[in-house]
Amino acid sequence: MYTEMREAVVLGDAARARRLAEGVVSGGGDLLAAIEKGFAAGIRKVGDLWEEGEYFLPELVQGAEAMKAAMAVLQPALRERHAETSKGRVVIGTVQGDLHDIGKTLVATLLSAGGFEVEDLGSDVSVDRFLERAKENGADIIATSALLTTTMPVQKAIAEAIPKMGLSRPPRLLVGGAPTTSSWAKEIGAAWAENALRAVAVAEGLVGAGRRP
Amino acid sequence: MNSFAERLRRRETTLLDGGLGSLLIARGLVAGAAPESWVVSRPDDVRRAHRDYVAAGSDAVHAATFGANAIRLARGGLADRCEEVNAGAVRLARDSGALFVLADVGPTGEYLPPVGTGDRKAWRKAFLEQGKVLAAAGPDAFHIETMTDLTEALDALEAVKESAPSLPVLVSLTFERKKRGFFTIMGNPLAPSLRALAEGGADAVGANCTLTSADMRRLAEEARTAVDVPLVIQPNAGAPVRRDGAVFYAQEPEAFAEEMALVASLGVEMVGGCCGTDPRHIRALKRLLPPKGKPT
Repeated sequence: MYTEMREAVVLGDAARARRLAEGVVSGGGDLLAAIEKGFAAGIRKVGDLWEEGEYFLPELVQGAEAMKAAMAVLQPALRERHAETSKGRVVIGTVQGDLHDIGKTLVATLLSAGGFEVEDLGSDVSVDRFLERAKENGADIIATSALLTTTMPVQKAIAEAIPKMGLSRPPRLLVGGAPTTSSWAKEIGAAWAENALRAVAVAEGLVGAGRRP
Repeated sequence: MNSFAERLRRRETTLLDGGLGSLLIARGLVAGAAPESWVVSRPDDVRRAHRDYVAAGSDAVHAATFGANAIRLARGGLADRCEEVNAGAVRLARDSGALFVLADVGPTGEYLPPVGTGDRKAWRKAFLEQGKVLAAAGPDAFHIETMTDLTEALDALEAVKESAPSLPVLVSLTFERKKRGFFTIMGNPLAPSLRALAEGGADAVGANCTLTSADMRRLAEEARTAVDVPLVIQPNAGAPVRRDGAVFYAQEPEAFAEEMALVASLGVEMVGGCCGTDPRHIRALKRLLPPKGKPT
């Protein structure tokens, strides 16, 4: 069954992914295992195929769509069964001046699948908008994507603005995007994830230090 | 046949310019702002950038119209200024005294489903509008560039040819180097894509952006065997590095020039630079190119 779920994502078959998810829910199956061993394993495979140069953006996005279709079924069911144990709140977006949406959307999907409450602000998001949404949301993490070398400095502007929000527990900053590096993140005082899958583990590490009561 | 078309026909080596956006950023254009906005607000700086390239040896410069299609202009708050920006930008490029002015047509920034919600009818309308305004401004040729989707490039090509039937059209795609070869992010492979563009009526085809000059040299070898039409190649100045909170492309002009001279010697007719290249790179390349163009 997990193999089928994995395949539905790898082949970008959203209808099949949804059906399989519905099957797990109605059959009283293990929802988290379905996510981790099934659908998320599929999206990891899609990521591998992308890095190999076998898959390109259309396949990547279709895989993410299939994942999303499954999650749309599984998440409400998870909430019902477990009264929602959120790992933390994330506001995510691509920085101002940058229209690249795909990587960010994939990270948002995976974070959501990984148990975070995610607000996706879309692309071309201003520094102020990030801060405003994070404040209102009580976000643990602001996750920002920059795909252009010309828009990377906006991540620094966000890093500098966070301490000025006047919060006793300010959100942590997570940065990513093709031109970003660990040294860039270190310099601006942010956490960094080299790809969408790593982003989940890094986000878990960030909230693990001080989990929301 | 205009003189640029004549030059293409003779297969003369033509030295293009380098990056414009990164040059304007160095002059204070804020990160994230549209370079086109400076055509209106700081025309002197745009003109000076073009002049610097001409002084460095560029035969042709690109007008600052890369993002001046209606879809992209709307994002920069310039939606109703398509004509003003495009015509103004061509004029500034012409003022530089360059031998040739290329009207620059960049992508809409949208993607087709399933990746995005782009609409080919809207694209076509935007490219037609920009093409007509640009054609009226009197460039010597068009350069459709930094296209990551062959479909969008072909749509732009068709629209531009309809807008300006008598002007040559160059089309450059942006490729990534994968294990299996060169592909756009949408998965369009190098050789078939260049052939499709040539069959679609492009007067020259090629690649720009993302790749370094070393990778572009490999790409140029494959491209030269793939198509017979003239080629245009414009790499970045190496891979981006970051210093003091800003981003740089650090390849030295001499290293860039040496590799690009080799690219030209492969039979690539038009050479220049993309992100991070500046007049120093063009000047260094100028020194290494044959003085009177490549014999046929």
